[in-house]
Amino acid sequence: MKPILDAPSQRSPSSAFSLERAIVRLPVSNAVPASRQTLTRSRWWLWVGAACVVTLLVFVVCLGFGTQTISYSTIIAVIMGATTGPSMELGSSDPTSVILLQVRMPRVVLAFFVGGSLAMVGVALQALLRNPLADPFVIGISSGAALGAAIALLFGLGISVGSLSALPVCAFAGALLSLIIMYRISSAQYGFSVYTLLLAGVVLNAIFSAFIMFLTSIADPNQAFGMYAWLMGTLTGPDWPTLGILVLYLGAGLVILGIHAQSLNLLTLGEETARSLGVEVERVKKMVFLSAALLTGAVVSFSGIIGFVGLIIPHAVRLVVSADHRLLLPVAGLVGGMFLMLADTVARTALSPSEFPVGVITALVGGPIFLWLLTTRQTQLGMK
Amino acid sequence: MRRRQQGILTGMPFMANIAPRTFVDDLDRKLYLAKPPKRIVSLAPSITEMLFAIGLDEEIVGVTDFCNYPPAALAKPKVAYSQPNLESLIVLEPQLVLAPPSFLRADLLAKLEQLKIPTFVLESKTVEGIFGHIQLLGRMVGRAPEANAYTAEMRKNVTALTKRVEGRPRPTLLYVLNSEPLITVGPGSFIHHLIELAGGRNAAERANAPYPRLTMEEVLTQNPDILLFPVGEYEGIPQTEQDRWKRWDTLRAVQNGKLFQINSDVLNRPGPRVIEGLRHLVKILHPDVDLEDSVQKPSP
Repeated sequence: MKPILDAPSQRSPSSAFSLERAIVRLPVSNAVPASRQTLTRSRWWLWVGAACVVTLLVFVVCLGFGTQTISYSTIIAVIMGATTGPSMELGSSDPTSVILLQVRMPRVVLAFFVGGSLAMVGVALQALLRNPLADPFVIGISSGAALGAAIALLFGLGISVGSLSALPVCAFAGALLSLIIMYRISSAQYGFSVYTLLLAGVVLNAIFSAFIMFLTSIADPNQAFGMYAWLMGTLTGPDWPTLGILVLYLGAGLVILGIHAQSLNLLTLGEETARSLGVEVERVKKMVFLSAALLTGAVVSFSGIIGFVGLIIPHAVRLVVSADHRLLLPVAGLVGGMFLMLADTVARTALSPSEFPVGVITALVGGPIFLWLLTTRQTQLGMK
Repeated sequence: MRRRQQGILTGMPFMANIAPRTFVDDLDRKLYLAKPPKRIVSLAPSITEMLFAIGLDEEIVGVTDFCNYPPAALAKPKVAYSQPNLESLIVLEPQLVLAPPSFLRADLLAKLEQLKIPTFVLESKTVEGIFGHIQLLGRMVGRAPEANAYTAEMRKNVTALTKRVEGRPRPTLLYVLNSEPLITVGPGSFIHHLIELAGGRNAAERANAPYPRLTMEEVLTQNPDILLFPVGEYEGIPQTEQDRWKRWDTLRAVQNGKLFQINSDVLNRPGPRVIEGLRHLVKILHPDVDLEDSVQKPSP
């Protein structure tokens, strides 16, 4: 997953220069000093290291919140007990440790992976479609995955979320279908604008939502109720083996994205330029699309539709850190994970002992930011 | 009584004659029925069961897709459920449409009013409410004695049941409406009311909504003695999902193998079969209580 870093000294000065210049002119990269800085090995380690440390802090903070009040000293004791105990099999006698290790921790970990994956898919799609507003939710990929998953649920393939059932496979198929449609649309005409993509996304969302509505209307009320609740974007506490399977799916997708970080950099310059710089454009595009579909499918089959994470996080990271995908991808992943961990902590504690869908929070935070980007930053986003 | 007061308060003496045939529904709408309706459409399974209970087999001319009890209901013409088909409703020429408020869309109600199809909205939220509604329906259709006798019998059975569980320790019960995410019944729902009536404690009694999404942490803290899964012809939870609950092995319910299923129809429907639902709940909550001599099943 670690990007291949070229130390500046290893590059020929002229190509490094032209590349940096070119990146600045990208529609995706904002005219912010951070994106102009040369990516060095030490800078990479600095940012990724810092993000890791903050992520760890956020993780611990989120563990401290829940329906049950558990003090941090207890948390540390329980974690110590679990890791140094005779086995990782968790002591089943103590409700506090069960709540912490089997409910809260898997859920926070799930939030991290879901948020991180969504953010990284956002980064990849923005580069690939050369569109700063691309996001798995906005352009309809999540809905496609949700439709696939809803079909799986309706035909009784089990709400055994995420286990090696047909559910993630169907979600993956749905995500892939909508990505193919979106890609066909985006390559159909020359000078495909940001707005066309958004409109196509809106329509795609509407079509898939219509199918989902149809499915819920023919499902029995109880099933439809559960389906709605899941569609709104829900994180639950999966058991560890299930979580392991999810990480397996996500890991595969993330590794593919990481390998292609440098190609993504070049692709943002335009396909012709990338090709002339030695990128196997078609292969890279196929691989990145496949991994985006894989990630979105896996995430949606676990947690329904959680919107806007893939939009706001990449933008924030690009503004502050770097537009170089070798750094942008991992940092956006970490920050996305952080964001969703925090959002989910609000979702599961604000109405305690009830909870509400985390998708509500991400939409409430992300929607306004999306509108703000759309209205005030058009020039920087290359929309004019 | 409410309707008498209305007649007198409006200062129209002639209302006193009309008032006994005027009925007020659960949306506070007044409905005047000159004579007992002969063609009735029910838009809820619970209402269908009430109508059959007071012997209106002939008068019922339309029911919902979900009306599966008593078996005679299956033979009646269907008018869908949450979105009743207006045309199939009109073609039945109903003299009275009985509807629950929860799925009744405002535009449908307005349309029915415009078409001068008498529509009466009712929803029972408690067992007492069911008695009241059966008696009300009895008066509306001119079968007050039958309805009163039926509710008296029901009331006797409910009292017999609640007496049996009085003073006993109240086991905690979690009613699993949906597992992922966990949705259950909270205060304000009919099933919560039944759980308490049957001598149980709802694991979600601290929740702040009738159908809350409960956190798993709260479930582990409340540590329910019993997990109850609704199953039925139309609604239910697959076996695999129930098995997934067995991983929470600190729950007393899991340790003692107290995972039960219940026919969701008898709990979800605030109708005459609530006795059956209560009986089933008491059996699950208090297996040592002997019910055989206390209750005769009311004949539908």
